[in-house]
Amino acid sequence: MKRSLRSWLWRIPNDREFDEEIELHIEMRTRELVEQGVEPRTAREMAIAKMGDLAAFKATCVGLAKQRDRETSMALWLEELRDDVKFAIRQLANAPAFTVIATITLALGIGANSAIFALVDAALLRPLPYAEPRQLVTIWETSTTTPRGFASPPNMLDWAARSRTFDTIAGYTPSMGSMVMSGRDGNAQTVSRQWVTRGIFDVLGVAPIAGRTFTVEDEQQRRRSVVISEGLWQTRFDRNPAVVGSELRLDGELWTVVGVMPRGFEILGRTSMWAMRPFPPNMPPRARASYQLQVVGRMKPGVSISAAQADLAAVAEGLSREYPEFNKGRTVTLERLHDTLIGSDLKTTSMLFLGVVAFVLLICCANVANLLLARATARSRELAVRSALGAGRRRIIRQLLTESIVLSMLGGAFGIAIGAAILQVAPVLIPEGLLPATVTLAFDLRIVAFCAVTALLVGVVFGIAPAFQATAVAPTEAMGADSRTTTGSGGTLRSLLVVGEVATAVLLLFGAGLLLRTLIAVQSYDRGYGATNVLTMLVDPLGSAYPPPFKQQQFYDQVEAEVRAIPGVADVGWSSGLPLGESVFGEYLFNYEVVGDAPLDPARIPTTGYQIVSPSYFSTLELPIVAGRNFDARDAMGSPRVLIVNEAFARSLAPRNPIGVQVSVKPVDSPNEKPVTLEIIGVARQVKRRPDEAFDYVQIYTPLLQDPIGDINLLIKPNSGSAAALAPAVRAAISRIDKDQLVSVSNITTLEDVEWSATGRHRFRAVMVASFAALAVMLAMVGVFGILAYSVQQRMKDFGVRRALGATTQDVLRLVVTSAARVVAIGAVLGLIVSAVLGRFITSMLFGVQPLDFATFAAVILVLAVTATISILGPAWRAAKIDPAAVLRGK
Amino acid sequence: MTHPAKTPNALLHGALDALILKTLTRGPSHGYAIARFIEDTTGDAVLIEDGSLYPALYRLERKGLVEAEWGTSDLGRRAKLYRLTAEGRKQLTAEMVTWRKFAAGVSKVFAT
Repeated sequence: MKRSLRSWLWRIPNDREFDEEIELHIEMRTRELVEQGVEPRTAREMAIAKMGDLAAFKATCVGLAKQRDRETSMALWLEELRDDVKFAIRQLANAPAFTVIATITLALGIGANSAIFALVDAALLRPLPYAEPRQLVTIWETSTTTPRGFASPPNMLDWAARSRTFDTIAGYTPSMGSMVMSGRDGNAQTVSRQWVTRGIFDVLGVAPIAGRTFTVEDEQQRRRSVVISEGLWQTRFDRNPAVVGSELRLDGELWTVVGVMPRGFEILGRTSMWAMRPFPPNMPPRARASYQLQVVGRMKPGVSISAAQADLAAVAEGLSREYPEFNKGRTVTLERLHDTLIGSDLKTTSMLFLGVVAFVLLICCANVANLLLARATARSRELAVRSALGAGRRRIIRQLLTESIVLSMLGGAFGIAIGAAILQVAPVLIPEGLLPATVTLAFDLRIVAFCAVTALLVGVVFGIAPAFQATAVAPTEAMGADSRTTTGSGGTLRSLLVVGEVATAVLLLFGAGLLLRTLIAVQSYDRGYGATNVLTMLVDPLGSAYPPPFKQQQFYDQVEAEVRAIPGVADVGWSSGLPLGESVFGEYLFNYEVVGDAPLDPARIPTTGYQIVSPSYFSTLELPIVAGRNFDARDAMGSPRVLIVNEAFARSLAPRNPIGVQVSVKPVDSPNEKPVTLEIIGVARQVKRRPDEAFDYVQIYTPLLQDPIGDINLLIKPNSGSAAALAPAVRAAISRIDKDQLVSVSNITTLEDVEWSATGRHRFRAVMVASFAALAVMLAMVGVFGILAYSVQQRMKDFGVRRALGATTQDVLRLVVTSAARVVAIGAVLGLIVSAVLGRFITSMLFGVQPLDFATFAAVILVLAVTATISILGPAWRAAKIDPAAVLRGK
Repeated sequence: MTHPAKTPNALLHGALDALILKTLTRGPSHGYAIARFIEDTTGDAVLIEDGSLYPALYRLERKGLVEAEWGTSDLGRRAKLYRLTAEGRKQLTAEMVTWRKFAAGVSKVFAT
């Protein structure tokens, strides 16, 4: 190896080497022949002839030599690498304190990045788990007022029949519902259910793991068919294959289970079953105005989304000419299914976190680079010796880089552990609903690969400057000089790194401050109602056992009386929706018009939210009626229909007095329904529907007695003590009334918890960014401490001389503190400038605070001043305690 | 090196490699010296083109059985000298054992 290595280093071109070798051979053969008496010229010709086909031999030999060279250089490289790595490990083992601090720093940075990368990867990078997901698009039916509206079933069928760019098109209802499943054991269970059209599974390209999907016959014969999820199959039926084809009693009707869908299919929403809603081709024309389906289409292979958009727009154009009374002005908008499911909130949150952890990683790199620079200064003598012994600069830089990469790999390995740990606890932190059902956080090989690549890059990033810096000093200088005085440009570079760290930390602190202010704003807004210590549960009586309206109302009354009798219960109410929480209707809006006013342009009819409540709802929630009266026994079935409006609604009627005004309402998604006329009897105080809503929400309340519904929230307020503690007693009270167990009770929670999860996204962002900012500040201050401690150590002699010449402790302290304060101040100013510039990028995540918030600026400065002071204390103390005599004596 | 049936040529290849290795046991030599030694000792029984020696040498070098180094020949000329490696020595021993077995077997057949 060594000899071939030298020939490799000589780098004589292989063909010249061969020529020289052969020439020698020919000459020697010629000489031999001449000695035998052959005439020289003939002798040479004979020698050449004896060689044979030289050109062929040369080609073979040069080829072989080239191969050998390649193998040798590779082997050499690997050998050097092995030596470098061995040497690096020895070096690191010899400096355990440095190694441990650098490893922890890098592990924190890489760990945080890997965890956030897992989120980004799951949310944005991975394709949907369907066949050819790029061909899947959401088809929105749009009008001038709704840019992303749902589609009516007949329109969807016509799109499918008339478009040329789609394989299949199908739909589903966007909101999840539930059905009561009565079991053989007599236990009713509420099962979540999503309505889908026949072809949905074909569009998504997912095959059932048992049974089949819906067929044309199922639809034509209007068979009640459901496909259940693998989860339900497992928990409720022990994966019994006989379930396929059997019948289930759902909401009192018999439904046939036709198949089972694999886990991970619950993409369009987390649900336990998909029930087919048949849409035969011969629907009545008014069905065109029933906008209820979210539509997904599979584009033909090779078709682009713009081609499909053009095709479908032409189809919609035709439909609007054929059915002007329903479809005038309506067209379609296509959007990739991935974009529909992921949502912009998740996208921006992921990008925010990714940016934040990337900055944290940069600070980590700067810190480790700083440590390396300090070490390089200390090692300059060792490096000089090696250089004097013949190691080239490139070779030494390579060695130093190997050292930093070994270090970063070590950090990366621990970083993987930290990332895995973060992902273990992450699901608790992530607010419900931020991640769509498709997305599951997993720590897998992709994340490990990410860690490895990041570690490698990081090793080069933090290693390259120190490596060049360390080798820039001439060996004679480094060896001759007292190593304690070799600072020079290394010191400037280190200060610049720390300035950068402080600036970055300030930027993150500022972001965290804005998000915390937002969190405070959304938590301390005026909710409108007084009580939060209220227990709620969703009660769903089986329709056939408790037919509305009378049997059902009787059941509600009995439950209310039974619950009121529980000791400690102060008030009990019923409502179709919860403030800040879900409504049993999902997003359900009504159009309203004032009876007697001139009819409005259809596009300008206002909409209102809709909630059904019992009279005691207002007292239970401590929600004041600010004008008029509450519902009471007069407002029963058969008496004139009445409603209570909220303050925003009342304002929309200004200047007239809202009390006594007659309004007609009908659901937005079925405009052909006959409107209902109701009279306003009261105005309730405004209640927020979302903590960060920008406009006051318009809402109406109708009395439960006049507007019976089958699933409803029961609200219970205790006299004192925890509301949640009442849950068992309330459940027991319900079962005393519901002896046959035909009522399902679910979603047991408190209004406090509902509110808590309503602000979850803001809390998640604020907590995450604040944690990372805290980490960043800590790391930056470690950096400040590092250069200061180092410079104090370097300048001991200087300080000693100054003291001896009459400088006071204060003078020395001033010197130390000024140099540190300069670095921190420059960093802070830079950071604030960058914050002011970048602040606008997170405007969409802010509420109740401006991106250039003065209070946040002030708070950031305060935090920085306090932490900087702490980091300065140690080195300053050391400088102040200098004993001039001892320093001047030499040690 | 898995020829299904050894052609005379392939046989010669193997034999040539073995002869080179054996020659080098006497010490480092350049190509011409190796050729001369084989000619002299075999008494022209093995006839090879001088040129074909070199691909064999390069092949052996690549396999790590010989090493090459530029040095000075006995006549004071710059020459590429080949030297047997430990690996090459092992290979030679193995080949000689095989060859002796083969030769003994063939001799027995001829002796009948």
